[in-house]
Amino acid sequence: MPGKKRARIPDVQELLEKPWCYYCEREFEDLKMLISHQKAKHFKCSRCNKRLNTAGGLAVHMTQVHKETLEMVENTIQGREGLEVEIFGMEGVPAEILHEHQRAIVLEYNAKQMERRIATGNPPPGQGGHGSTKRLKTETPEELKARLAEFKAKNAAAKAAAANGGISAEANAGSPGQAYPYPQTAYPPTTMFPPTYPPSISPPPGAQSAFNLPARPTVSAPIPTVLPARPPYYYNASAPSATASAISDDIDEMIRMAEAGIKPPQQQSPAPEGSTEKKGKKEKHVRMVYGTSDASPEERISTLTAYNFVSVGA
Amino acid sequence: MAPATQFEIAQSPGDALTAVVFAPDDPSRLLVSSWDRKLYMYDVAQGKEEATLVKTFDHRAPVLAVCFGANKDVAFTGGVDRWVKKINLATGDQTVLSEHTAPVRCVVYSPEHSILISASWDCSLHIHHISDDSEPSTPLKIQLPGKAHALAASPSKVVVAMTARLVHIYDLPTIASVLALSATSNGHSDTDAKADNSGIPTPVVSDIQPWQQRESSLKFLTRAVSCMPNDAGYATSSIEGRVAVEWFEDTPESQARKYAFKCHRQVAPEEEGGGDIVYPVHALAFHPVYGTFASGGGDGTVALWDAEAKRRMRQYQGLPEGVHSLGFSGDGKYLAIGTCPNFEDGMEDYSGVGRTHVFIRELSETEAKGKGSK
Repeated sequence: MPGKKRARIPDVQELLEKPWCYYCEREFEDLKMLISHQKAKHFKCSRCNKRLNTAGGLAVHMTQVHKETLEMVENTIQGREGLEVEIFGMEGVPAEILHEHQRAIVLEYNAKQMERRIATGNPPPGQGGHGSTKRLKTETPEELKARLAEFKAKNAAAKAAAANGGISAEANAGSPGQAYPYPQTAYPPTTMFPPTYPPSISPPPGAQSAFNLPARPTVSAPIPTVLPARPPYYYNASAPSATASAISDDIDEMIRMAEAGIKPPQQQSPAPEGSTEKKGKKEKHVRMVYGTSDASPEERISTLTAYNFVSVGA
Repeated sequence: MAPATQFEIAQSPGDALTAVVFAPDDPSRLLVSSWDRKLYMYDVAQGKEEATLVKTFDHRAPVLAVCFGANKDVAFTGGVDRWVKKINLATGDQTVLSEHTAPVRCVVYSPEHSILISASWDCSLHIHHISDDSEPSTPLKIQLPGKAHALAASPSKVVVAMTARLVHIYDLPTIASVLALSATSNGHSDTDAKADNSGIPTPVVSDIQPWQQRESSLKFLTRAVSCMPNDAGYATSSIEGRVAVEWFEDTPESQARKYAFKCHRQVAPEEEGGGDIVYPVHALAFHPVYGTFASGGGDGTVALWDAEAKRRMRQYQGLPEGVHSLGFSGDGKYLAIGTCPNFEDGMEDYSGVGRTHVFIRELSETEAKGKGSK
């Protein structure tokens, strides 16, 4: 078949067969490389640089040649520094750790596959052309603005229908309390309103119809006089005008962001969640043996009676 | 390859130690300062794996710092009794050079400029010109913004680490010239001052400004400082298991080279909640020949680092207590390791009696030699 050559994606079996180091979980292309890695990184004598084949061999070497006892294997990941397991290449790896490693490989492989499928839009192998996975939908700033304009127009229409006349252009700036599109005039002070204005998620049905509208108001363009104050996210009884201006600021900010090409935070995007999770895992809980930052251990010891000094002359 | 060996000095100090130091011109002479109010002098037999206690020098209070002077028979000490003393190791004569208003934490001697610098918790440095005269000269006093905790000298610089993560670097030639100037102008007041205070000269306050003022690269209290023998930079360590390597030169390129790394930590057992136990890095010492450096931590390990290649070359484990001081011999063939119990948070009392040891490690030829940066 003609076309570009693609990087071959290794299948899961190949990944599982790769040799890896028990001490540091590093993977190698072949067994020879692994063994030479272990000799250089984990079984090397710290005194004379002799490379031994196993940790046991190194321990014997240390006692016989240097009269020292090997306490632990060097350069290992946590919990693998013990001398109890006899490792040579892939031999001697405890079954549960082997399974754990294989499970991790399979999980990672599956995650990669899924990512690839999402990126390419291809269905999983063997599932025809109608997979459920789709390319993630992202909005361009123009689409976003169009949607906002459509929403505003819709709101204006609703307002015009509901308004009992006498709404002037000033309604925009002052006393928006009377200008809410809702029939109720008295809101309970602390009620949180459902976000009647959806920030960016779940586009209204038929988003395309926005293009049929005669004119899309921009930030700088004067807002049509019939357009009342925007419905607030929430109602603050003590300072309604302040709230309203804050809200209009919010929306203006949103439009500015859209124009600048900055995408609003998408709650459905899984990426940030994943990254915070990773961070949390990285943050290890540590215990400091000495954590006093304003006095050194010596200062603390010198205040103890046993080490105190009382000047005779003073 | 020459065999690398390590042995323990049989007659160890009677209580926790504060410093171990080899005479720069004689690898057989070792001094150890201790909390038991004594300074210990050992003779390290060359090639025989033993060291004998030659002499002890009594002090009024625990000795916190010791360093050698121009030769192996002159030493300087500082201690909780606030005195900076010069000790003639051959005769045992002790001369008080100056008195701080708080315990003296560190002393360092610059053989290039014949200057002794003492640093104290009274937030000051005393600068002494050391001559062969038996009469101590009038020291200069430099006020510091914080309590001094660590001090180290390179051929041309002195680095002082203080509380609040402050680091001041002083230029030794500048200090030497100011000192020479004040010595000639204060010839008469010198003798007056001595008469006032039982022979101890009163320091003259000087306004010598630091050559550089820096903030420590480490977030916690600085524990130790050591300068590169090639005068290029220095290393600092903190109570939070970390070491930073920095360069003196104040250019963006040199400053971009500085780095810090974690070390002297242990993995806590799972049943205690896992994570890391972080030990203070009590001691740092640069190798006089190869420019590599050793760090000693509360975890009872000593690590040898290649500052250029940013690699750990060696790690010595299995020391019985925390490593509180390290000292290379002048020829770089020996490493003295002083261990004693750690003072931990929440301790009500502390004693190093019976738990203080000094080890001498004879290094094989290539043991402390770095590979150079790759």
